[in-house]
Amino acid sequence: MTVGNLQNTSLFSNPRWILGAAFFAAFGALPWLGLGPNFTRLMFTTFVWITASVAWNLLGGFAGQVSFGFAVFYGLGAYTAAMCINQGVNAYMAFLIAGAVAAAASLAIGLPTFRLRGPYFAIATIGVSEAVRVIATNLQMTGGASGYRVAEHGPFRPLEHFYTAFVLAAAAVGISAWIRNSKFGLSLQAIHEDEEAAADIGVNPLTAKLIVHFAAAGLTGMAGGVFARYAAFIHPQGVFAFNTSVAILLMPLIGGIGTVAGPVVGAFVYGLVQEELIAAFPQFHLLLYGCLLIIIILFEPRGVMGWIGQLYAALRGLRRKSATASLR
Amino acid sequence: MDAADFLNLFVSAMLLAGIYAAMSVGMTVIYGVMKIVNLAHAGFLMLGAYFVMELYERLGVDPLVGAVLAFPFFFVAGMLVHWVFVKRIPVSDQPTLASLLLMFGLWLVLQNFGYLIWGNSDRSILTPRTLSSLHIGPITFPTVRLVVFGAAVTSIGILEFALHHTWFGRSVRALMQNRYAGRLVGIPVEKTARLTFGVGIGFAGSAGGLLALLYSFSPDFGRGFLLRSFVIIVLGGLESFWGAAIGAMILALVETFIILVLPAGYQPAIAFSLLVLALVVLPGGIAGVFAKKHRWV
Repeated sequence: MTVGNLQNTSLFSNPRWILGAAFFAAFGALPWLGLGPNFTRLMFTTFVWITASVAWNLLGGFAGQVSFGFAVFYGLGAYTAAMCINQGVNAYMAFLIAGAVAAAASLAIGLPTFRLRGPYFAIATIGVSEAVRVIATNLQMTGGASGYRVAEHGPFRPLEHFYTAFVLAAAAVGISAWIRNSKFGLSLQAIHEDEEAAADIGVNPLTAKLIVHFAAAGLTGMAGGVFARYAAFIHPQGVFAFNTSVAILLMPLIGGIGTVAGPVVGAFVYGLVQEELIAAFPQFHLLLYGCLLIIIILFEPRGVMGWIGQLYAALRGLRRKSATASLR
Repeated sequence: MDAADFLNLFVSAMLLAGIYAAMSVGMTVIYGVMKIVNLAHAGFLMLGAYFVMELYERLGVDPLVGAVLAFPFFFVAGMLVHWVFVKRIPVSDQPTLASLLLMFGLWLVLQNFGYLIWGNSDRSILTPRTLSSLHIGPITFPTVRLVVFGAAVTSIGILEFALHHTWFGRSVRALMQNRYAGRLVGIPVEKTARLTFGVGIGFAGSAGGLLALLYSFSPDFGRGFLLRSFVIIVLGGLESFWGAAIGAMILALVETFIILVLPAGYQPAIAFSLLVLALVVLPGGIAGVFAKKHRWV
């Protein structure tokens, strides 16, 4: 982050905010263009992914704490919302409760595991995630491995689902942009770069990590809840699966961690490519993402956003060259 | 539970510990020399299992011989992986996220490559040995477990010998203690790292082949064992072979005896919870606890 960003914190003084708002407004108008129910469904899924991806980036990108355990929050949110809806709670209230439960779980997980640094934290989150999955698979209350049905009365309204996911994704991106440009965002960045140094300049790393984990888990839980209401059927091997954690981790890594736009780009790439490939080759997209991840780690840690930046710089260089050439 | 039941459980736990130790040794050497948490370990365990299965089904090679043959094959594969990918990651004295994510990407590739080739159905290797057992007094030894245990312990013995009696072994131990001092006394760091990576992956392949004799497997096979390996090496203090052996024993005992108090379905959660517990409570491993006590005295 540069000092210039700090001075431009007022809303809309930065063209990026306007660009982002226009981008989301365009997507909000999509269902009215007559693109069909399949397209609406695809966009709904993508918005759910965007929410989870942006949420993961708050912790993994801004604070540098790579977690393999976001399926815990996604699954908890899904199950909480499903159970609340089945009890007759209003769906939107259920989403909030789902977010609250997931956020509370984040504290229970974060308090012990944030004592670990970097890769050890990452490994510990794999352990937590797998343990929670096994427990959810064996829990009688929620139907165990055979899954859980969401019985909501009333007609199925795709547009309502679409806009719920849309608003949630927009809120997640808004929160992400706000954190990025806040003093809190700077302290997260400091933790990312050097935890001891951050502590020396007066940042409490544990508190900061817990707060951002809390926010990320809440958003992911709500995304899980929104998905559960839409899918009407959830099971532990789906929402709690290791592959769900992997998906939530891969999207921001592909898009470019530590940026606001990166996780959104990553989620689009992931959602669309998965959609195209999953029917013909159920596992092929993960093979592709594995290769992509290796390439990104070895050559461009900023992901797709990094490539876009390089392309932009190259184009600008070309234009400058042609400008100087025409001067001659 | 009478004494015979207890003995039977204890024996099966010890037999399990042998194979657990063999599968985590590969992770320990790689961690020790390069400080890389090898998440791709799971992928190589899985490939080892399929390697042995293919040899058995296509060529009729005895799975035990297959597991031995897996070692040179995976040794070369490991050196290749190091040469192509791992050496491009900046060297560090602490495990880095870049190396973790690189190995994770490799695991994803291997796993889904497995799905492409073998599909997602569960496979198993059945030999005449699979169902036979040996009775000594009240204690039952399943033959296949005994054989696998023997192979695992032998392989660890050979590695232990090589580490103490060859130049390669001495350089490995030197680099585990201090990379810079090792470089100063003229150890070819990169060459040793490449060989170590080969040995680590070779062990993963062989251990995968041995595990395939005991369990059914699919391309997702290695994940549970990856976490178990990690529990074991964390319990063992991450860089010590004896620590890993003790860690393997603890995990095997806990996993075996926990079924007396918990439903069997919850058993996999034990390893995963133990992992978190070990990381948080015992960052220096069991040896670390003793070392600390020693310092106080």
